[in-house]
Amino acid sequence: MFKEFAKGLSITLKHLLPGNSTTVAYPKQKLEMSPRFRGLHRLVPTQHREKCVACYLCPTVCPAKCITVVSAENDKGEKYPEVYTIDMLRCIFCGYCVEACPVEAIEMTSAYELANFKREDFDFTKERLLRS
Amino acid sequence: MAVNNTETMTINMGPQHPSTHGVLQLILELDGEIVVKATPHIGFLHRGIEKLSEHRTYHQTIPLTDRLDYLAPMSNNLGYVLAVEKLLGMTDEIPERVQRIRVIMAELTRLKSHLVWLACHALDIGAMTVFLYCFRERENITDIYEKVSGARMTSNYFRVGGLSADLPDGLEQEIRTFAESMPAHIEEYEGLLTGNRIWQKRTIGVGKISAEAAIDIGITGPALRASGVDWDLRRDNPYSGYEDYDFEVPVREGCDTFDRYKVRLDEMRQASRIILQALDKLKPGPILADCPKIVLPNKQDVVNNIESLIHHFKIVTEGFKPEPGEIYQSVEAPKGELGFYLISDGSSHPFRMKIRPPSFVNLQGLPQMVEGRLLADVIAVIGTLDIVLGEIDR
Amino acid sequence: MTPEVLTLSETPWLFTAAMLIKVIVAFVVTLLIVAYATYAERKIIGRMQTRLGPTMTGPMGLLQPIADGLKLFFKEDIIPSQAHWFAFIIAPIMILAPAFLSIVVIPFGADFQFTYDGTLYAVPLQITDLNIGVLFILAMAGLGVYGIVLAGLASNSKYSLLGGIRSTAQMISYELAAGLSIVAIFMLSETLSMRGIVAAQQGPLWGLESLSFLPNWFIFSQPLAFLLFIVGSMAEINRTPFDLPEAETELVSGFCTEYSAMKYALFFMAEYANMITVSAIAATLFFGGWAGPFYGWINFLLKVFAFMFFFIWIRATFPRLRYDQLMFLGWKVMLPAALVNIVITGIAILLW
Repeated sequence: MFKEFAKGLSITLKHLLPGNSTTVAYPKQKLEMSPRFRGLHRLVPTQHREKCVACYLCPTVCPAKCITVVSAENDKGEKYPEVYTIDMLRCIFCGYCVEACPVEAIEMTSAYELANFKREDFDFTKERLLRS
Repeated sequence: MAVNNTETMTINMGPQHPSTHGVLQLILELDGEIVVKATPHIGFLHRGIEKLSEHRTYHQTIPLTDRLDYLAPMSNNLGYVLAVEKLLGMTDEIPERVQRIRVIMAELTRLKSHLVWLACHALDIGAMTVFLYCFRERENITDIYEKVSGARMTSNYFRVGGLSADLPDGLEQEIRTFAESMPAHIEEYEGLLTGNRIWQKRTIGVGKISAEAAIDIGITGPALRASGVDWDLRRDNPYSGYEDYDFEVPVREGCDTFDRYKVRLDEMRQASRIILQALDKLKPGPILADCPKIVLPNKQDVVNNIESLIHHFKIVTEGFKPEPGEIYQSVEAPKGELGFYLISDGSSHPFRMKIRPPSFVNLQGLPQMVEGRLLADVIAVIGTLDIVLGEIDR
Repeated sequence: MTPEVLTLSETPWLFTAAMLIKVIVAFVVTLLIVAYATYAERKIIGRMQTRLGPTMTGPMGLLQPIADGLKLFFKEDIIPSQAHWFAFIIAPIMILAPAFLSIVVIPFGADFQFTYDGTLYAVPLQITDLNIGVLFILAMAGLGVYGIVLAGLASNSKYSLLGGIRSTAQMISYELAAGLSIVAIFMLSETLSMRGIVAAQQGPLWGLESLSFLPNWFIFSQPLAFLLFIVGSMAEINRTPFDLPEAETELVSGFCTEYSAMKYALFFMAEYANMITVSAIAATLFFGGWAGPFYGWINFLLKVFAFMFFFIWIRATFPRLRYDQLMFLGWKVMLPAALVNIVITGIAILLW
């Protein structure tokens, strides 16, 4: 009985030695996310506009129905999203929008600190998504 | 005047309680510290996943299954994806590499789930250090998850007909290193728990359920195997190429919490064995079945090839339409038999999806395991049943 | 020249001043140790669990106890509407006061000597040397139970009630075992005064010159009593593996479920103060008090810290016992063992 107690105690004592910590001091020290990490979305820009052609595949495939797209045409007759909003409160970060996009106009960044104060702050408009 | 003043006390345990593993509510009738009656109340985490899936394409339901048993997302993915593949009749067309990777991920998931179980079980009984040690290893698995699928918990990695992406470079070695290190870590947990008299006293003979009672209720998984029933779907009804691997199914006769603990620990050892075998057998190859009507085409082809672009648009907007019919596919999830029953009416949405969650069935054993025992045993039994409310309430 | 002992009748001012200083120093030091015991516990358990423990407040998180205290001090103090308010308020005080009172009889160093007005005086480094010192400590430990019972009853919560009941049963059973285990020490030292017990532990082991490398600490003569005492006191101060009254995973937080803010903090202060007291008693009764290689009180503090480390270490390692097993251990294992120990000690004293 005492042998087992001593064994347990020795295991915990062994971990007391320096160099055994596995956690990091989070806000000061951040872990690097893998390249595939599915964080905050980002609309990819090309010259002077977003790459998106407003084909409506992402709102269609989205299982949470959190993407709102309204398409319009510019003077050159190109389609572009007049409105492109992602409701981050509904988004489940499944990555289907990225998978569905035929022109690779949307991608997911490694940003994961998405807490905010107001409900409106979670409506990510086209401008915010282009910036992120 | 002699009046018998003893009466039972009804205590409401949960849904906000540190050790009901989520939002389980237990109405306990106590006589002193002895439980006279235990009534589990469920439904606090109901999200209607079965109903939601009737309004989603087969493809869109995959991320919902992540959220069933959120401690073992890939097992749920696997069960669902296999079910849809069976419904489509394309089970034989799944490439070998896909099957191997699915097995690796499913077994990693088993380790992940069992690690959380051991962590919480030990913490419930008061050994709090095991909690952190288990989470240290679980962190490695979530890292692997993140590298392979992009998310640490809600993986959404498997697709109907294949995988969303191949393993990234160097990950095979990482998985191998991890699987090789796992037995040593299990020794460490055992050093803190198995031989410890207090742990033995808290678990041996606690929460007994006989093999007959377990079968009557429908208990599956480690809880059934610890009652002496040798039943494992991986071996008895193999799927995804499990018949190629050499592994043992740990079975014990004790029917109690301690034996369930030992069975799960042995399962963790076997899981790392299976992972290593699958890694040895892993060969390069395609990661999607050759079914252009079902699997999404390569992104490069979508840009360059009009036919692929049309397929891409068709599959994304409409999904695929299985023939009318119904199937049942079950997998050995970490918690027991996870089954998906799908009915297709020929449209792109399931007509009905019924999930058989192992936790839900196993939870039914709780009242007869705790009645007549002490309050502290309720905690031990909730821990040993390894329930996840996301799965119970769906 | 033999030093004179300060007395109230002959040197009233010196006596009062010395007393005040002793009381203030002992109280402040205990409070400081209480505060930093919480820090040490979090840091040590953190390290044992491969975590970092507190790091953000001050260098290495050293200001954490102060931050905790401030936070709890400024939080809203909730008294549940169905609670018995008077008992609810008095309960934390009833736990904390006895915990601190026990410090009074513990000697923390050899006599401090100084010359005043041509006379050499000696001040014993102990607040007061009661001739029933150990009994006083046992009495104070007994009083502490009332606080927990009151807290459990007054909260009008079922979890608190269960915690209170568990605690009563546990403390009563283990006080017996722990108390009886110390009796063997009295039989060896033939005094109840803590100071006398320390004095009895000076010199080589069993008075044998051949064993002069070992001090005459009672741990060597009474290993069983020590074991019983340590286990019993761990149960008495509700430390893991005997922390059933506040068993977090079973009873939410046991008797302090309904408490908040400073009152909650008082419970925790009491727990750590009790831990210090028990460590100090163990050091005094079994490890020769202030005797050791360093200067008096340093030895004593080192021994106290060693015991506290041990308690923290145990907490990090072991699971919790169940209520019936706890009672079994208390009444059917420890109590008979303590009684047997007394008989054996008696026989041994008669023979030698």
